[in-house]
Amino acid sequence: MREGIVGIRRSRMPFMISVFSVAIALLVVGVGVLSVDNGLQYIGDMQANYDLEIFLKNDISTIDSRELADIINEYPGILRMEYLSKEDAAALYNAEFGEDVLSLLDDNPLPSSFRITFEEDYRSAGYIHSFIQSVNILNGVDEVIFKKDLFEKVQGIMKLIYTLATAGLFMIILSTVFLTANNLRLMILARYEFIETIRLLGASDFMIKSPFFLEGGILGFLGASIAVLAIILMEISLAYYHIIDLPVRIMNHPELILGLLVFGVSLSSLGVLKAVRRMLRFVA
Amino acid sequence: MIQFKNVHLRFDSGISLRDLNFDIKSDEFVYLFGDSGSGKSSILKMIYMDFFPNSGSVSVFDQDSSYTNRGTIAKIRQRIGMVFQDFKLLADRDIYSNIALALEIQGMKTDEARRKVFATADDLGLRTKLPLYPHELSGGEQQRVALARALVISPDILLVDEPTAHLDETASAVVTEWIWKAHNRGASVVFATHNEQLIKRDPARTITMETGQIILDRE
Repeated sequence: MREGIVGIRRSRMPFMISVFSVAIALLVVGVGVLSVDNGLQYIGDMQANYDLEIFLKNDISTIDSRELADIINEYPGILRMEYLSKEDAAALYNAEFGEDVLSLLDDNPLPSSFRITFEEDYRSAGYIHSFIQSVNILNGVDEVIFKKDLFEKVQGIMKLIYTLATAGLFMIILSTVFLTANNLRLMILARYEFIETIRLLGASDFMIKSPFFLEGGILGFLGASIAVLAIILMEISLAYYHIIDLPVRIMNHPELILGLLVFGVSLSSLGVLKAVRRMLRFVA
Repeated sequence: MIQFKNVHLRFDSGISLRDLNFDIKSDEFVYLFGDSGSGKSSILKMIYMDFFPNSGSVSVFDQDSSYTNRGTIAKIRQRIGMVFQDFKLLADRDIYSNIALALEIQGMKTDEARRKVFATADDLGLRTKLPLYPHELSGGEQQRVALARALVISPDILLVDEPTAHLDETASAVVTEWIWKAHNRGASVVFATHNEQLIKRDPARTITMETGQIILDRE
């Protein structure tokens, strides 16, 4: 352990360069993950606004409409169900068009309705389609309106973004691993003289590897911490200057912070270990 | 303690060692004498298991190098003091740390290691040099540091590769005197040199090498 810390002190410059390269790599990964999360969340929120509207027959009684509400509420996946009476509909018409429908006609022709928002897991075109089919045949239901085309378009975009983002993230992580491993190899190469000498003086492989493993862990932890701090600063700046209001923030996701730290520590310590192991093959 | 049996070693460059046969007993002092390129350093490297023979066998402490794993090689090296031609001192460590390194590798406790380093530094007149760095010392002083690092572990075998090559006569005499002292304390010494005068001054068994072959082995 002491040798690991002494090693860091002795080669401060290459160590710091490696810390910053790990930090930049993890910053790219972190920003990538958050961008994908935010994009998906944003589109998901947009999709949540595509409510389904069930218009009831004009002659339905209040008791029947309550019974109908109970039946519909039994369907799985309903997040919210809002009842709009004929009077509510008239008020909405008034608010939207500035005219009182009752003054134009003797009777209120607007139907009462239910506005339904689905839970995230049930927002699929397939489920909503079957839901519409089964609700359509219920007594008292006049018409079910759903902006299916737009919904499917958004869902298609979401799927595309998800696929591209996953592939992109995979590429980013892969290049991060490659670049970090290369950089760590250079850092270890600079210590060739030390490794060769202690090997000749009788140090075992374990004795040589363990301080480097520790050094790699510390390096990864520092790099990941810098990356997390930088992301938090970026989020604060975006909010402060009102550039964008991010729905997903790293501060609200300790699992993402932990993930970056674990990724940083394992990437660096294993990268260093691999570089040392590779060097030991060439050292006496 | 050290046994070479029908040893052949070939290099890609074409130079090779051929049919080496000799034993070195414990407490023995042996010169490996020959011009540069005659194979002296390669013999030392085979003893500390950096090089391995293409045929024949090299045994050290009854361990055949061709059948010894890395862990055992590390343990064998901990019993061998080595003074390399290029010293192999770590430039980023002070003299104290360079000498103490050999003891740290053996897992010695810090206090005991400190006592041993000071004692060895006192013996070799290096006490005032301990806080300095290798580049702050002369060639002769660096040579003494390398010797101190080899002696501090009280080795069973001391291997020295041209320790006087870059030293003036006075410095050579001091270093040689210390190698003999280590031998008198019980270490077997294998001393590679091309300096005939040095052998004449302190005679001992001499294995003479020429282009990779032993041409003379005499007491």
